[in-house]
Amino acid sequence: MNHALLYALVGVGLFLLGFYALIIHAHLLRKILALNIMGSGVFLVLVALAKRTHDAYPDPVPHAMVITGIVIAVSATALMLVLLLKIFAKTGQAALSDRHKK
Amino acid sequence: MQIETMLTAVDWAVVVIMLPLAGGIACFLWPVMSKQLGLITVTGIALSVAGLGWRIMEHGAYRHAVGGWGAPLGIDLFADGLSLCMLIMITTVGLGISFYASSYFESRRAVWFWPIWLFLLAALNALFLSADIFNLYVTLELTGLAAVALTALTGRIDALNGAMRYLLAMLLGSLTYLLGVALLYHDAGSVDIATLAQRIEPNATVWTALGLMSAGLALKTALFPLNFWLPPAHASAPAPVSALLSALVVKASFYILLRLWLEIFGSFADNAALLLGLLGATAILWGSLQALCQTRIKLLVAYSTVAQIGYLFLAYPLASGSNDMIWSVAVYLAFSHALAKSAMFLATGNLIQFGGHDRITDLDRAVQRLPLTVAAFALAGVSIMGLPPSSGFTGKWLLLETAVTQERWDLALVIIAGGVLAAGYVFKVLGYAFTQAEKPHDAKTVSASMEWTAFLLAAGAILLGFMAPEILTLIRLDIAVNIDGKAV
Amino acid sequence: MMPVAIFDAVLGAALLWLAWHALASPDLFKAIVLFVSFGLLMALAWVRLDAPDIALAEAAIGAGLTGAILLATLAKLQTMTGKNTFVLSAQPAFKSLFLRGLLIVLLSGSAAGIGYAVWVLPSNSNGLRLDVAANLDASGVSNPVTAVLLNFRGYDTMLEMTVLLMALLGIWSLGGLPPRPRRPAAAVLDIFSRFLAPVFILVAAYLLWVGADAPGGAFQAGSVLGAAGVLMLLSGWRPHDRFTLRYLRFALTAGASAFIILGLLTMLHQGQLLAYPPAQAGTLILLLESLATVSIAATLAALFLAEAPDHTENQ
Repeated sequence: MNHALLYALVGVGLFLLGFYALIIHAHLLRKILALNIMGSGVFLVLVALAKRTHDAYPDPVPHAMVITGIVIAVSATALMLVLLLKIFAKTGQAALSDRHKK
Repeated sequence: MQIETMLTAVDWAVVVIMLPLAGGIACFLWPVMSKQLGLITVTGIALSVAGLGWRIMEHGAYRHAVGGWGAPLGIDLFADGLSLCMLIMITTVGLGISFYASSYFESRRAVWFWPIWLFLLAALNALFLSADIFNLYVTLELTGLAAVALTALTGRIDALNGAMRYLLAMLLGSLTYLLGVALLYHDAGSVDIATLAQRIEPNATVWTALGLMSAGLALKTALFPLNFWLPPAHASAPAPVSALLSALVVKASFYILLRLWLEIFGSFADNAALLLGLLGATAILWGSLQALCQTRIKLLVAYSTVAQIGYLFLAYPLASGSNDMIWSVAVYLAFSHALAKSAMFLATGNLIQFGGHDRITDLDRAVQRLPLTVAAFALAGVSIMGLPPSSGFTGKWLLLETAVTQERWDLALVIIAGGVLAAGYVFKVLGYAFTQAEKPHDAKTVSASMEWTAFLLAAGAILLGFMAPEILTLIRLDIAVNIDGKAV
Repeated sequence: MMPVAIFDAVLGAALLWLAWHALASPDLFKAIVLFVSFGLLMALAWVRLDAPDIALAEAAIGAGLTGAILLATLAKLQTMTGKNTFVLSAQPAFKSLFLRGLLIVLLSGSAAGIGYAVWVLPSNSNGLRLDVAANLDASGVSNPVTAVLLNFRGYDTMLEMTVLLMALLGIWSLGGLPPRPRRPAAAVLDIFSRFLAPVFILVAAYLLWVGADAPGGAFQAGSVLGAAGVLMLLSGWRPHDRFTLRYLRFALTAGASAFIILGLLTMLHQGQLLAYPPAQAGTLILLLESLATVSIAATLAALFLAEAPDHTENQ
C-alpha cells in the first residue's frame, strides 16, 4: 500500500468520525469542531489522491482547491461561532432548542 | 442593426455575475446609499439577463473560458436554455423581492440586507452559469452563507435558532458534495462537466461520488427526509427573505443535481432515479399533511415548500424511458413554484405587518381590510393547488399525463392527492380571512407597493400558465442537443 | 523506506485519535487544545504529501486562527456564565442507544463503501498535472499552486474573497454582543505584541514575495498579517475614529474589488474575463496578491474581533 492511499483512507475516516460527532452531540461548539474535522477529512482525500502516482511533484490543482476550502472553512466557522454566542446570550444554552415553536 | 451590434459587443453573462458583486461591495462601502445602489443593480441584472437571453436565442448555447485557458485547466462559464430559464426565474422573482424589501426594511436592517442580498444574487447567477463542479462548490458556499446571514437578520431567538440549524445543514451538504467532487476529479482528472461527461464510465468510484453528491444536494434542496432544517429557517426569517429562500435558494441545489443528471449520471443511474422519485412522492404527502396541521401561516407555507419540492423529483423516475421532455416540465414547475411561493410569503409578510401575528385563526376579516394581499395569496394558492389556468396546473398536468402514459399509477395518485391536500391548506388560510376574530386587534397599515408586489408575483404564476409552450421550448433549447450528442 | 512508512502510520493513527478526543472530551477547553494540535499534525501530513503551500495555510489559518477564534469564543461563553471552567457532561442529542447503534452501522457501511471507492481508483492518473506544467510559463509565476489559484482558476479565488467578506457581513449584521468587562492587556502581552507585530509584517511580506516561485502567497501572507492584527486586538487596540473605520472597509474589500476591476479591464482588453496578457501576468498577479493579502489579513482579524467596530458604540 502506498502512503498516499493511507492518508486518503485516514481522510475518509475523519469525514465519517466528524459526521458521527455532528449528529450525536447537542453542544453547538462540538458540532462546529465536528464540521471542521469533516472538512479536514475531505481535504486530505482530495490532496492525498493527487500524490498516489509516485511522481516527483504532485498535481497542484487539488492543492489550490484545498487552500480555497480552508479559507471557506474558517469563514463559515467564524459565522457559526458568532451565531452560537448570540444564541447563548439569549437562551443561556449552547444548543439548538429541540422543536421550533408551533 | 446598431442595437444588435451593441448587444453582441457586451458579454452579458459576465455582467450578470460581476454586476451584483460590484453592487454588493458598493453597498458595503457606502451604506447610506445601499437601497438606491441595490435597486439600480437589480435592474441592471434584469437588463443583462435579457441581453444574454437574446444572445442564446440567436446564437445557441453560450460558453466562455474564464482566464482564456478553457476547460479542463481553466473554468468555463456555460449557459443553455436551462440555465437561461433559471436566470429568468431569479431575475423576475428577485425584482419583486427587491421592490418589496425597499419598503419592508427600516434603514437599520436595510444597510445589511442590500449587500448580502446582492452577494446572494451574484452567487446564484454564478451558480447557474458555471460548468465546473468545484466552482459550483464555491458558489454553493457563498449562497449558503448569504442565505443564513439573511435568515438571522432580525436577531430574534427563533431566527437565530433557525439560521444555526440551516448553516449546519448547508455545511454538511456542501462537504458531502465536495467529497464526491474529490472522487470524480481523481477518477476522471477533471472538474469540468462536459469533460466529465465524455470520460466517466460507471464504476465503484463514480457510483460513490454519485451517492455523496446527490445526498449533499438533496440535503440542501430539503428533499424528504432531509427537510428538517427548512421549516424553522424559512418560517423565522423576515418575509422577503423567506420568499427568496423558498423561491430561489432551494432551486440552486436542485439545478446542480439536475445538471449532473442530465450530463453525467443520467445514462446509467436508473435505480437511483427511482429512489429520488420515491422520496419526492413521500415529500409531497408528508409535507402537505404537515402544512395542513400548522396553526401559523408562515410554517404552513414553509411545509408547503417541502411538498412542492417533492413534485420536482417525480421527474427522475418518469424520465427513465429516455423521455427528456419531462426534465423541462420539472424546471417549468420550479419556475412556477418560485413565483407562487414568493407571492405567498410576501402576502404573509403583509398579513404579519398588518395584524402583528400570523396565527391562522385570528386573521380577522383580512379579506376586507387587505383585499389585494388576500387576492395574492389566493391566486398563488390556485397555482400551488394546480387549478387551471395557472402554471401549477400546466406543470402538474404534464407530470400526471406522463405518469399515466407510463402506467405509473402510484405516482399519478400522489400527484392528485398532493393537489387535494394543497387545496385543503390553502382554503384553511383563506377561510379564516373571511371570519371575524374573537377579540379585535389594532392593525397597522401596509404600504401599497408591498401589496402590489405580492399580487403581481401571484399574477405572474397564473400568466406563466399561458406561456407554457414558449417556456418549455426555451428550456429544451440545447438540452436535446446534449443528449443526442452523447448518444452518437 | 521502513521508518517513513512507520511514521506515516503513526501520523495517520494520531490524526484519528486526536480528532476522536477533540470531539469526545467533556472539557471544552481541552477539546479546543486537542483540535489545534490536530491542525498542527494535519500540517505535518500536508508536508508528507508534498503540499507545503497547504501546510503553511493550515498552520496559519486551520490551526492558528481557527484555534484563536475558538478560544476567544470559549472565553466569551465563560464571561457570560461567570464560570471559570467549562466542563460539560457530554450531553448527546441522541439518547437512544438503538439509534446510536444504527448510526454506527450505517457509518461503518459508508466507510467501507467510500474506502473501497478510494482503493480502486486507477493509480496511473495524472489529473491536470501535465496541463498545469505545459502552461506554467505563460502563467506569470513559477509556483504551480499560485498559478492555479491566481491564474488558471483565479475565478474561484475571486468568489472565495467574496465568501470571506460575506462571512464578515453576516457577523456584523448580527450586531454586537452583550458588553463584557474589558480588562487592560497584561504588560507582557503588550510588549510581546509590540515586538512581534513588525516581525509578522516582515514574514507576511516575505511569504507574499516568494509565493510566485516557492511555497507561500496571498493566503499564507494574509493569515500571518491577520495574526499580527489579532495580537494588536488582544493588547487592546481598536479602530475607533472615523478615518480608521473608513479605511478598514476599503481594506476589507480591496481584494475582491481588485479582481472585479481587473476582470473589467481584461474584458475590455482581451474580451475574456481575467485573461492576463502573458507579458504582464507576473506583475498583475503580484498586484492582485498584495491587495488580496491586505483584505485577507483585515478580514481574518475582523472575524476574530467578531463585532462591527462602528456599531458597538451605538448600542
